[in-house]
Amino acid sequence: MSRVPFYLKERLEEVHRRVLYESYDAQKLPVWERIVLTWIVLFSFWIVITANTSLDNLVIGSIATLIIASFMRDMLMEDVRHKGHLIEKIIYFLLLYAPQYLIIMAFRLIESNIKVAKNVIFMDIKPGIVKIKTDLHSDTGITILANSITLTPGTLTLDVSKKLGETYLYVHWIYVETLNREKAGEKIKGDIEEWLKKIFW
Amino acid sequence: MIEYFLLAFGEVVMIFGALGIIRFPDVYTRLHAATKCDTGGAMTILLALALYTDASIFIKLKLLVLAFLIALINPMISHAIAKGAYKYGIKPEVVVDMYAWDNP
Repeated sequence: MSRVPFYLKERLEEVHRRVLYESYDAQKLPVWERIVLTWIVLFSFWIVITANTSLDNLVIGSIATLIIASFMRDMLMEDVRHKGHLIEKIIYFLLLYAPQYLIIMAFRLIESNIKVAKNVIFMDIKPGIVKIKTDLHSDTGITILANSITLTPGTLTLDVSKKLGETYLYVHWIYVETLNREKAGEKIKGDIEEWLKKIFW
Repeated sequence: MIEYFLLAFGEVVMIFGALGIIRFPDVYTRLHAATKCDTGGAMTILLALALYTDASIFIKLKLLVLAFLIALINPMISHAIAKGAYKYGIKPEVVVDMYAWDNP
């Protein structure tokens, strides 16, 4: 009886802090930042696909992609976290986050290929479906996390469910080592989720 | 020199993926072999081609864009196949099935 009010007070404070934090982070970016970021992505894709750097092509491409970006500004940049300056965001993404993610995923992919080859040769499998919890809430972040889990060694994402503001992933694991949710989450997700939490909310 | 090594690695990985599709027992474990080995093998072969070719820089960038699209689409298709097979009623041969606990 004496411990219940303390517990409730602590829990309420935690929920209150989390709501404040997430309502700040879940704000959308300003309109011109959304347009500029979408325009950069579309224009680099235009240059790579057309493979032509004459002046006419660049002018036509910039105008066309600017028109498309002003209409489609909500599709790509909806879930990006609301903090930092625009230039700072672009430089951080191009120099720090993208190479880090690509290098991590390349090594995990090579490791998973070697592990599947080992499984094929020795047939030492003990499959099972486990349920883990993630801290991400946005659609883009959950999609990238599920795809990364599919490409890391020994795991394959089956389904996603959102209940009461928390997100759970069902993962088919080819060699079940533990059934504890926290330990399984640490083993399956690794450091990819820490990286994704810096950009998506 | 490194592109021949990458090509050989890609081909060996693709062969092991095809072997895994034959040897594994049910749909879900076969999807493991199909997804990982095909993604790794195709991306490695495309990277080797991008290093090997004598064409301009844009052709190499197009090959890299192709590798990125393969890495983006292949896990999504495997997830769709696995969920569709589960909804259709194919039971997996597993030791623990928490998905059936929550969706009876």
